[in-house]
Amino acid sequence: MSEATIPRRAFFHIAAAGAVATQIGCGRRPNTAGQRYEVATACESCPNKCSVIAVVEGGMIRKLNPNPRNPKSRGMLCARGNAGILQAYDPNRLKQPMIREGKRGEGKWRNASWEEAFDYAAGKLAAIKEKYGPQGVVWSSTESFAEIFFKNLGLAYGTPNIVRHPTLCLASVNLAYSMTFGTVPSFDLQNANYVIMAGANRFESFITPDTMDLIESTMNRKARLICLDPRFTVTAAKADTWFPIKPGTDMAFILAMLHVIIGEGRYDKAFLDTYSTGFDKLQAHVIQYTPEWAEKQTEIPASEIVRIAREFSDAAPRAVFYAGRRSSWYQNDFQMRRAQAILNAVVGNWDKQGGMVPNGKMPLGELLFLPWDDPQAPRVDELDKNFPLAAKGDGAYLKLRENVLAGTPYPVKGWMISKQDPFNALPDQSKTLRMMEQMDFIGVIDIQMSDTAWYADVVFPESTYLERTDPIEMLPGIWPAVVMRQQVIKPLHNTKPCLDIVQGLAKRLNLSQYFDYTIEQWNEAAAKEMPIEMPLEYLKKHGVYASPDPPRYGATLQPEHRFVTKSGKIELFSERLQEAGHDPLPVYHAPEQPPAGRFRLVLGRKAFFTHANNTTNPWLLDFQKENRLWMHPQSAKPTGIADGDLVEVTSSVGSVRLRVKVAEEIRPDCVHMLHGFGKRSPWLKRAGEGGADAAILETAWDRVSGNAALHETFVQVRKVGVPS
Amino acid sequence: MKLFTAFLTAASILGAATANPKGNDAKGRFYYKQTCKTCHTKGAKGGEVTPMSKTQAQWKLYFVKAKHNSGTEALLKVMPEEQLRDVQTFLVNHAVDSPQPETCGK
Repeated sequence: MSEATIPRRAFFHIAAAGAVATQIGCGRRPNTAGQRYEVATACESCPNKCSVIAVVEGGMIRKLNPNPRNPKSRGMLCARGNAGILQAYDPNRLKQPMIREGKRGEGKWRNASWEEAFDYAAGKLAAIKEKYGPQGVVWSSTESFAEIFFKNLGLAYGTPNIVRHPTLCLASVNLAYSMTFGTVPSFDLQNANYVIMAGANRFESFITPDTMDLIESTMNRKARLICLDPRFTVTAAKADTWFPIKPGTDMAFILAMLHVIIGEGRYDKAFLDTYSTGFDKLQAHVIQYTPEWAEKQTEIPASEIVRIAREFSDAAPRAVFYAGRRSSWYQNDFQMRRAQAILNAVVGNWDKQGGMVPNGKMPLGELLFLPWDDPQAPRVDELDKNFPLAAKGDGAYLKLRENVLAGTPYPVKGWMISKQDPFNALPDQSKTLRMMEQMDFIGVIDIQMSDTAWYADVVFPESTYLERTDPIEMLPGIWPAVVMRQQVIKPLHNTKPCLDIVQGLAKRLNLSQYFDYTIEQWNEAAAKEMPIEMPLEYLKKHGVYASPDPPRYGATLQPEHRFVTKSGKIELFSERLQEAGHDPLPVYHAPEQPPAGRFRLVLGRKAFFTHANNTTNPWLLDFQKENRLWMHPQSAKPTGIADGDLVEVTSSVGSVRLRVKVAEEIRPDCVHMLHGFGKRSPWLKRAGEGGADAAILETAWDRVSGNAALHETFVQVRKVGVPS
Repeated sequence: MKLFTAFLTAASILGAATANPKGNDAKGRFYYKQTCKTCHTKGAKGGEVTPMSKTQAQWKLYFVKAKHNSGTEALLKVMPEEQLRDVQTFLVNHAVDSPQPETCGK
């Protein structure tokens, strides 16, 4: 039977045969291995951290059910959440440590014991530290409960070069809202009456409880949904109005809305007088941005912009211009998000039901230990010089890669990577490959042999989320909660959780004093400040603790409230931006347009997959087995391209081949492909067919946040074959 | 005389620290949680104090004055100079008007 077509019923037989070593996890334990029991834990199929209840029978996980106690995920578990079982039972997952023997990427590996792998990696890391200093190693990771341990190992080692995923994700949103409100709020989609989504494709790309709230709002309560997208997405199909906006011009639309709302006196004057600063400057600034001017930029009729602006302000405060999750599109992304934030502010939707709500939090303790000395060297991405307002602890990934390749301001020869696949996450694979090739050592912690792991020196197999206990964590939100991920079954293979891997390396790097605790001690200290009796026991039983009080709105709407900004007010005009040499109010610059014969490449996601993950999961692959290039018939016809043809898509940095979907659902000046396909690693042989967007995306970033700008690539499309 | 010298020493050390603290933010957080939080939590005798209780300028001024317990006690009595420098760095870096962009996760 082909691995790519494991039916669900057959899966249980295969998995049962492979689960001989499976033992009983913690949680509600049975007396014998054959009994049925349940463990309340947290999903890790995406970053949303929904609460789930794992049903174990005969020693293996039979099903994952939603845990209704979590106010965020409620009684919901998406396709990825259900299919998460296969992470544990994937026959192609990493099962023991491995050390590279052949050339980098050649695929010659030898199995190693944990001791060998730790000794080998620690030896290499110590040698790099001796020769180049601790700054000679980059430490990169993606958000997860256990990321703290991996990051702390890098800090204890002494490197300043911790680089996290936000500049490949939503750094521009976070920075723009922080610079305006002093925090990043949630959007109360459950209670909004009017929602504008620009580029965000919440009905299709990322199905989370937010999505369900939006469905509830738009379908049952008949809230209005306005969608701006160069593609006719599922969100566009469900919207009241869809505008196929010219790519890169969203800011023009928003500024023209501000022009109308302020010009017609539709803003919330009392709110702005009390809580904001810089309105006079904003008012003068947006006079130039008329709807007629914006029509020329966006190709949306001026009359429609006026209509939307009026409807939006009429619906306020239950009206939101949604910020989106992934914001890595254009080089002006930060300023576009600032314009969004300002638009939301002027209609007074702050801290109101159906508007934008500052996230509530819950108390959580921590295990205290004396930390390490500060690194002596500056960051290799020169964050202070290039992006002085960006989050210091996250770094700027693409600038970091540029500087590492250039060897400035100093050489970097080591790369430690956890739960991340830079080969697919960063644009321009040829640059990432060159960065890897110049390393003396690459160590990867992962659950599978990702494309990045394939080029590593040592691969440390991490236990899947169903086989380990992670740090408990507080999830801020409109209704905050504390969640716990606990071991459901013992590891099926010779794998370890992140903390054990970190401790193994720390011991050999003489850094054990910073990691002298167990996960149980860590969680005990964290739970100590929770406002309930026996908090850890509660979490072990229920997996989640949510505040018994329902969400409250308006806590910050007190005239004496101080926003966490320089002025203490909502900053429509930002002095801090001005001091850093950036526009203190969003200034529109028209984006470059593709020359004749080229198309703008726009990316997208499907909720079956998380970034470049899950495309090897057979249950999820059933939904979509390949990525195709969307091309408008008007663009395809002159070059003789028909639906299903194999084409070569070429940018200035590379080419990929995939089949075409000729479709009216995209603007003629754009082409589109899904992210996450076209894997190189032979271990990912079950992955869907198609092309890797990272192979053709060019390097560009947002000027303020350093966020990757992933919609700035123009491509040519050439037919190379016909359907077989 | 001894008291006066001690005051001058504290003022000059902390004054210099204010101009260019060069403390360790992470260690400052540790010392703050280990020492300051024992009294400065909600309901405790010192009342709740967090980095966000003051602006950056206010925290700097606080360490120039270097007085604790409503001005009745030298800060150096609470913890040694090096630790104070770290705590100052932590409090200033995370003051209510500090540039602390939120991040994704930790």
